[in-house]
Amino acid sequence: MSNETLILSVLITLPAVFSIISLFLPTPRSVLLLCASGTVLVALAMGTLALAVLGGSPVFGSNGWLRVDALSAFHLTVLGIVYALGALQTPGYFRDEIEDGSLNLSSARRYGALWFGSLGAMLIVLLSNNMGLMWVGIEATTLLTAFLICVHATPGSLEAMWKYLLMCSVGVALAFTGTLLAAASTGPSAVHGTESLLWTSLMANAASLDVMLIKAGFIFMVIGYGTKAGLAPMHSWLPDAHSQAPAPVSAVFSGFLLNAALYCIFRCLPIVETATGNTGWGRGILVAAGLLSILTAASFIAVQRDIKRMLAYSSLEHIGIIALGAGLGGVAAFAAMFHMLSHSIGKSTAFMCAGRLMKAYKTNDMRKITGTLASSPLWGAGFLASLLALIGTAPFAIFFTEFMILRTAVNAGDYLIATAFLAGLSVVFIGVMRYAIPIAWKPSESAPVFPAASPLEYLLVIVPLSVLLALGVWMPPFLTRTLASAAGLLGGTM
Amino acid sequence: MTAYIDIILVGLILSNFILLGSSRLGNCIRIAAWQGIMVGLLPMATAEAGFSFRIAALGSAVIVLKGFVFPKLLSRALRESDTSREVQPFIGYTASLIAGVLALSASFWLDGRLNLPIHSASAIVVPVSLSLMFTGLFLVVARRMAITQVIGYLVLENGIYALGLAIVRDLPFLVELGVLMDVFVAVFVMGIAIYRINREFDHIDSHRLAKLKG
Amino acid sequence: MSAEGLLLLLSGFLLSPLLQGVINRTKAVFAGRKGSPLLQQYRDMAKLLRKGAVFSTTTTGIFRIAPSAVLVLVAAAYTLLAPSTVESGWGFPGDLILFVYCLGLARFLTVTAALDTGSSFEGMGASREVLYSALAEPALIIGLAVLARVSGEMSFSGVFHGLGDSEWLSAGTALAIVVVSFLIVMLAENSRIPFDDPNTHLELTMVHEVMVLDCSGPDFALITYGASLKLWLFASLMVNLAISPLGLSGYAQVAGFLGGMLFAGILVGTIESVTARLSLLKTPGLLTGAGALAVLAFILAARYLQ
Repeated sequence: MSNETLILSVLITLPAVFSIISLFLPTPRSVLLLCASGTVLVALAMGTLALAVLGGSPVFGSNGWLRVDALSAFHLTVLGIVYALGALQTPGYFRDEIEDGSLNLSSARRYGALWFGSLGAMLIVLLSNNMGLMWVGIEATTLLTAFLICVHATPGSLEAMWKYLLMCSVGVALAFTGTLLAAASTGPSAVHGTESLLWTSLMANAASLDVMLIKAGFIFMVIGYGTKAGLAPMHSWLPDAHSQAPAPVSAVFSGFLLNAALYCIFRCLPIVETATGNTGWGRGILVAAGLLSILTAASFIAVQRDIKRMLAYSSLEHIGIIALGAGLGGVAAFAAMFHMLSHSIGKSTAFMCAGRLMKAYKTNDMRKITGTLASSPLWGAGFLASLLALIGTAPFAIFFTEFMILRTAVNAGDYLIATAFLAGLSVVFIGVMRYAIPIAWKPSESAPVFPAASPLEYLLVIVPLSVLLALGVWMPPFLTRTLASAAGLLGGTM
Repeated sequence: MTAYIDIILVGLILSNFILLGSSRLGNCIRIAAWQGIMVGLLPMATAEAGFSFRIAALGSAVIVLKGFVFPKLLSRALRESDTSREVQPFIGYTASLIAGVLALSASFWLDGRLNLPIHSASAIVVPVSLSLMFTGLFLVVARRMAITQVIGYLVLENGIYALGLAIVRDLPFLVELGVLMDVFVAVFVMGIAIYRINREFDHIDSHRLAKLKG
Repeated sequence: MSAEGLLLLLSGFLLSPLLQGVINRTKAVFAGRKGSPLLQQYRDMAKLLRKGAVFSTTTTGIFRIAPSAVLVLVAAAYTLLAPSTVESGWGFPGDLILFVYCLGLARFLTVTAALDTGSSFEGMGASREVLYSALAEPALIIGLAVLARVSGEMSFSGVFHGLGDSEWLSAGTALAIVVVSFLIVMLAENSRIPFDDPNTHLELTMVHEVMVLDCSGPDFALITYGASLKLWLFASLMVNLAISPLGLSGYAQVAGFLGGMLFAGILVGTIESVTARLSLLKTPGLLTGAGALAVLAFILAARYLQ
């Protein structure tokens, strides 16, 4: 068995093994420690595989059903980073809940099993070459993450969980219709039998596919996977789910779940583009969805009071930006890939800091969380810095990706798109700063108690933020090559 | 026309109408079970290349799951949440029936426009599956009780399954099994969710789960 | 007109009260009673004809002429339908529509006469009757449209002569659904269970019986006879459609028809015995269901005969 297939099999079995082990551990603390260490292990394996693919050529496995190319390798790295960041903060986040008993053993075991289960499901999505298998993975992520939202069964979390479960299941079912239509579109082409669902055969025969069927399939997939990605107007589950879930889970949701759904759409985009003769029909849909998401996020973010809900709407905005960039193509697609990475890192940090602030101030109302810089330099500064990064302040990386996308739109003469984009970004900037400044500096009435932060937690805040800062200033050539090859699939260039 | 598949398809349409007009939750679950059994019989009636072990296995798996296991799960969720057994719709029964008729006409019209290449013995498979999808979506949106929303999801899945049978020549067995398993886990998870919602709220009326706004 | 046609026509006029008797006897058998004699309806009508009539002072001429006019209209509708299965040139293209309109006009006169009395009971019955008919008429019309579409003809004789083996083979499901739809329409239009209980004595629960509370004597006899003729009419529509695949003609058709009517009477009696009356809130739903079935049949027929 070659090295790559070995790593593939390890990658697939490890999360399942860890998931089963977490059901049998004796204490909640041990479950969370397993979460942290197991995730880091799996992340390292993902990193190895990604390096192998990015350095060389795509890897195949399981009769062509599994395939890792530049796009999936890039997403594997992002998945690894996000899950590792989330898992590493878990023991610290739940420490006080374990001590006062609100996180009991069965909840902890369930948490651990579902955590690894969702990791495994996302791996299936990224590794599969078969569109049907990819769909099975996405549906599995919905089901496995549903109960992660309501670790604590409060009315709000149950409501959020039900909305999420139903909306995403219905949406993903529609995405399956799209998959079926895509498979049916291979009628006039040379693809036969069970190969009609393989991405490689669809890509190779894209020019000879039935145009109407593949177009219909793409629309269904955008609606279906778009529901899972949180593209407007199918986004209404997003603020609820992200705000009611515990901080590590929200980090994973915003950091990777949405990206995984977008990944599925990105897989379909080149097929549709080639099949429709590169007229930009598919791109137009993505641009429209992206702009709509940005503008929706802008309208809602200005009236938020809940701190995590604001971060959730910020995720909606960023997903819109990524979709817009991928739709515009060219340099914007490259920027979109870069944006995926920087948004995931920034959002994970933001959720982590927000979670700690919420726990210390015992509220999630932003008007009551004030003076954080004074009460806790680490979490207050971390939150402020991650918010600044997320709304696109220079010299953080996100500023440059937004600038690149804007430049592409202006260069192509799409002034309407550029204006709408800019308007949305400005409203979000102002809306978020309106809260960020009082949160950081306004003198607070309450005296929050922060537990002592361990060195690991210092690292978890400082390292991602510095990486974001560094990436904004200087891009290592390795990263440039990676992003270019990932974006190349979307018709992107440097 | 005398193909058995047409009788099954018309039976599916009739079950749609009954679901839309039915006011008792127990009845809804039973009708959904019958619909599942009819959908499970479809591959055996559609098979172009004749009967094979794979088709029989898949068909029986679908019949067992959708005809027996899912109704059991849903009835248990219904029994343990001792709320009212009435459906309590947003949109009344007569209006729902009319919507169902409109959806049926729309499906037939769409089929005429789309002209999908089909691999099945009957001319009406695609419109029937489209109307199943419409009915499922309608039930999810227009009903308040969480259990009816789950039934709507099941009907949607039935429609998509029937559509897949009609337009895709050769879906890999593993993918079909994966899809079936996903639906099973989905219903299972939804059942547990309903149980927990009921334990917390003492009702399973999703319309009253409206605290999170904005 | 041939002898068979005449037979079919006369059977309606002469035997319709007997159908009521069959229904009542079936219900009695289900209930374990001996039941009234089969010919009871004739005796009732004879008794009524001998009585004198009393007219309320609030009524006008409409109330006087309504019973006779209704009977004439129902008889006219029946004449359009009855001999068409054996006479190939009976009627004219479009008599399907005239059929429906005769029945509609009869209903209009009944309702107006009921409102004419100025009594609140009759007003209530009138509004219910109109609601049910408004919902049942689309089912009837669309059902007839299906028949016209499948057979390609617009007259009753054309329809019944055009519905042969090949039509049933290609569009049989649609036609079967129309039979069920016609059954529901028959139950609704003639105030049988599950829409209305003919044996009820509580005015607030009545639909049709309450509209004729003020009629007496010969008028009431005409109304009773008209009601039984209307029941025979709807039943014969359903039976003619149901036995058309057998492809009978001549006297065999007459015999088959009469046998079918007997079976229809027993069927109605059975339905009345085993089903309970639907609550007033649910009956529109069932009627819409009949309409939905008719629409479904139309779509199927249109698709199959492309």
